[in-house]
Amino acid sequence: MAEIPTSSIAGSRVLESMFGGAAGKRPKNNTKTPKNQGIAESIYWPVILPALMLVAFGLLVVWSASLTISDASFIRQLIGVAFGVIAAIAVWRFDYRSLSNLTRILLIVDIVLMVLPLIPGLGYESHGMSGWIRIPFIGLTLQPSELAKLVTIYLMAALVAQYNGRIDNIQEYLKLCLTLAVPFVLILIQPDLGTGLIILFTGAMIIIAGGAKRSWVLSTLAIMIGIIALVIISSMTEGLPHILKDYQLKRLIVFVDPSVDPTGDGYNLQQAKIAVGSGGLFGKGIGNASQAGQGFLPEAHTDFVFALLAEEFGFVGSCVLIGLFGWLMVSCIRLSQLCEQPFAKLVVVGVVSMWCFQVLQNVGMCIGLMPITGIPLPFVSFGSSSMLTQLMAVGMIQSVWRYRQSPA
Amino acid sequence: MSITTLLFILGIIAVVATIAIVIVRVLQGRSRFRVDIGSPQPQARSAEDSSNNDIGFKGRINAIGIGVLAILATLLARLWSMQLLSSREYVEQAESNRLRTITTRAPRGRILDRNGTELVTNRPSLTVVAEGTVLDDEFEIQLLANVLGMPRAAVRRKLQDTVEGAQSVRTVCVDATRSVVAFIAEHSDVFPGITVEQRTQRSYPFGSLAAHVLGYTGAVTEEQLDASRNSTDNSSIQYESGDTVGQAGVEFQFESVLQGVRGERNVYVDANGAVTSSVTSLPAVSGSDVMLTIDASIQQAAEDGLQHAIEMAHQYGYVNCRKGACVVLDATNGDILAMASVPSFEPGAFIGGISNDDWDYLNSEENDYPLMNRAISGQYMSASTIKPLTAIAAINNGIATPDTPYYCTGYWTGFGGAYGQYCWEQSGHGDMNLHSGIIHSCDSVFYEIGKDFFYSDNREGMQEVYREFGLGTPTGVDLPGESEGRVPDAAWKWRYFSAYSDEDRQWKGGDCTNLAIGQGDLLVTVIQMACVYMGLGNRGTVWRPHVLKSILARDVGTVADYTPQQILKIDEPASNYDLIIAALKGVIYEESESMTEHFLSLSHEVAGKTGTGERTGEDLTGWFLAFSPVDTPKYVVAAIVEEGGFGATSAMYCVRDVLGQIYGEPDLSEVEVSDATR
Repeated sequence: MAEIPTSSIAGSRVLESMFGGAAGKRPKNNTKTPKNQGIAESIYWPVILPALMLVAFGLLVVWSASLTISDASFIRQLIGVAFGVIAAIAVWRFDYRSLSNLTRILLIVDIVLMVLPLIPGLGYESHGMSGWIRIPFIGLTLQPSELAKLVTIYLMAALVAQYNGRIDNIQEYLKLCLTLAVPFVLILIQPDLGTGLIILFTGAMIIIAGGAKRSWVLSTLAIMIGIIALVIISSMTEGLPHILKDYQLKRLIVFVDPSVDPTGDGYNLQQAKIAVGSGGLFGKGIGNASQAGQGFLPEAHTDFVFALLAEEFGFVGSCVLIGLFGWLMVSCIRLSQLCEQPFAKLVVVGVVSMWCFQVLQNVGMCIGLMPITGIPLPFVSFGSSSMLTQLMAVGMIQSVWRYRQSPA
Repeated sequence: MSITTLLFILGIIAVVATIAIVIVRVLQGRSRFRVDIGSPQPQARSAEDSSNNDIGFKGRINAIGIGVLAILATLLARLWSMQLLSSREYVEQAESNRLRTITTRAPRGRILDRNGTELVTNRPSLTVVAEGTVLDDEFEIQLLANVLGMPRAAVRRKLQDTVEGAQSVRTVCVDATRSVVAFIAEHSDVFPGITVEQRTQRSYPFGSLAAHVLGYTGAVTEEQLDASRNSTDNSSIQYESGDTVGQAGVEFQFESVLQGVRGERNVYVDANGAVTSSVTSLPAVSGSDVMLTIDASIQQAAEDGLQHAIEMAHQYGYVNCRKGACVVLDATNGDILAMASVPSFEPGAFIGGISNDDWDYLNSEENDYPLMNRAISGQYMSASTIKPLTAIAAINNGIATPDTPYYCTGYWTGFGGAYGQYCWEQSGHGDMNLHSGIIHSCDSVFYEIGKDFFYSDNREGMQEVYREFGLGTPTGVDLPGESEGRVPDAAWKWRYFSAYSDEDRQWKGGDCTNLAIGQGDLLVTVIQMACVYMGLGNRGTVWRPHVLKSILARDVGTVADYTPQQILKIDEPASNYDLIIAALKGVIYEESESMTEHFLSLSHEVAGKTGTGERTGEDLTGWFLAFSPVDTPKYVVAAIVEEGGFGATSAMYCVRDVLGQIYGEPDLSEVEVSDATR
């Protein structure tokens, strides 16, 4: 979308500024520091605007879901947004650059977050999903792995940034891969394959952006495909260890052929597709979504929230959502380009990768492009942990902007 | 141009323009835009690139940006296809997801007797039904057996029963108690595939009374389903699997009247199947009631009379006697006042699906096919009851006059000594004529007539008269399964015995003499003979026998009355009728004192005829036919008792009992009939 040119110069400016283009034209020797910036200047509007619009859109969808789904509490979602905004402001004010030398601490924090749900007394199962903790005395439940995604971004960005854009030592490359494997394996233990894949994808994108050799990246990819194939084949064969859980294997089979399991996951997928498809151009309108409203669409406010959105608002609504995400991510890419510090670039790359993967996975599974996994749609899905994390991620981008010029 | 097409074209233009501009910019080298993954070698720094730590970052991040856009574009393309191109298909699926048609069964019409007494009605019934898959779950079967208080084997048998169709649910228990229903509802998790349905069941206040007339109902069969599906007639009933339809008797004959019209409700349901709103609704229209000509009290008398006759037959030593039939007609319009057949059955056994065992029992020869309505389906030799028609034929063909003298020695040798035949009275009747020949049922008289026909110009004169009175043709009674009987002639014999030698296939003199006394190959039904005697009593007028009196719509009243149809107007000289009717009256009052004794207590005169059929290997089968009053007949009563001995000592009791019920004058005579004709 950034590439669509307009004939008018003024229009072009507006368009460029929407994606943060004007920022790049600042003179390099700008001596402004965050302290003498105006509040408006210390906010990167091309990211905050689409993010806020997404939150608003998400609130509308959750509100409509709350009309028929008792689990979807609009108030709780609002509280989640409120906490998220506070947390985002805190992150924004925080000079992330100080983290670049604290990789060891980041790794420890990451591990602690991953291990928390495994501690008896803290661990908590919500809707059959492990990976939650309940904070004693307050009774607040959280998914620490959500926060761990952000910590992992900082961790990997800080590590990779040390190589200054060129990773040409195979040992160093392997070290990075192993570091990334730590949070990934820990989260698989929980087990939460969905979040694990997000972390893996995000970390991998940071390593790639950080200058890993093409042949190594491709080899790693090939090895991983091989491992995945082995895992799947082993899980499908009697006598060999079933590494994937039965439901995970079934989801993969259903993804290939939804008619295999017309009552379970195949049913869910089919109902989601019907919801999306029957939305048509303009959708059925708020509260008229028969698929979601009458219970045919499972988890309509969480995992399958996109199907609900697409049913209520149609192709137009889908376009608005995808467009907002496009705007958000392209603006981030622009920011990444104009930042000079590798750490800053890589933090932004990490956040974009996370969003991109979650959107691809969540929307993709509703329309049969991706297998079913329980990954929330950023800013939209019902759930405080997700909302908190995603708004904090926006705060991370804002922090990068706020501290972009001053020397590290 | 639709908005969809417009959007599509705009989308294509945007994509093409984007690609074109990117290519142009890259080719011209104007762009600092660089796409790369990884860093195979140190990047050459361009002139503009003054940054000292920007080693390849730009290209790689651009690549990521393009990747992001590609992913979003893929999602949009897929959404485009689903939400715009295939939307209609998905909308249909969404509709069919939530749209259900609920059918409500229409209550079946009642069946009433002529006085409005309910012979068949409906009652609500809670029915436990199960899917066929329950059969695979031994634990569930045991549990169900415990709850229903039935043996496990019985539950298993019910589950295996596919009378209602292989795919449809099986009825496990009809008339489940409230507590059973509540238990199953509360523990639905341990009873998968088992549901309780509120159905209406046929109810028979009089038990087996008139079972053969009423027939029975059952689940619609596959053939009936196919027939209704393939029917091009829009007004015909569209059956659904599991529907209850008439399978025999009046239930079958008047199915279209009794069935009613199913109600249909289109509703929206949620994912759990709970109804959220109603779309359209069409109430069920209950079936119309059918009022029959049957009179319950006469019907009861006919059935009791048959039992009485069979008991009497047993007393006379005919211990194999088990079967019989009785028909009572109104001679003025053809109303069937009673129609009984023994052995009978309980129509109630068919409620909720008959068990295989019961079905086998009802269809076995050793149990004498209880489902068979012998009054219309049974074909018998007429025996002596045919003699009045033979006499008419003889007069019409100039073979005899009322005054022609006959002499019976007890052994008739009309075809020569080698072909002698006994009269039933082997001591001989002495001097006879047509009148006394009928009264005493003298075989010699009718052998002579048969012989004369064999040698006459009109060899088939007897058959002509039999057919004139309706034999060999169904009466057209409004019940299923009527037989047509058989009037044998030379052509028939030639055809029928095609496997025999030409000599044996010839029509012989013996065929004529057999035919004249109603033996041999002549076959008639009870209802046919009742019509013959109606024609004799009415002097030629025969009304179509029928059971339908009127059709009553619920809450409306009579919608259609049956109009009596005259099927025969037999044109015979009055003198013939005078002769026959006098002779038939003579049978009752002159022939046998002991039999007359039974009829003296009736205030109305009766005319009638006995008959006794002989068949090798079987006991004698007795007939008795009567009409009353003699001059203006109102009632015709016909009875047959198979293997019950003489007509006068078996079937007569049934006829007398029926007349006693009609006139309110029961048979008080204790006299045993001993000297009556055959």
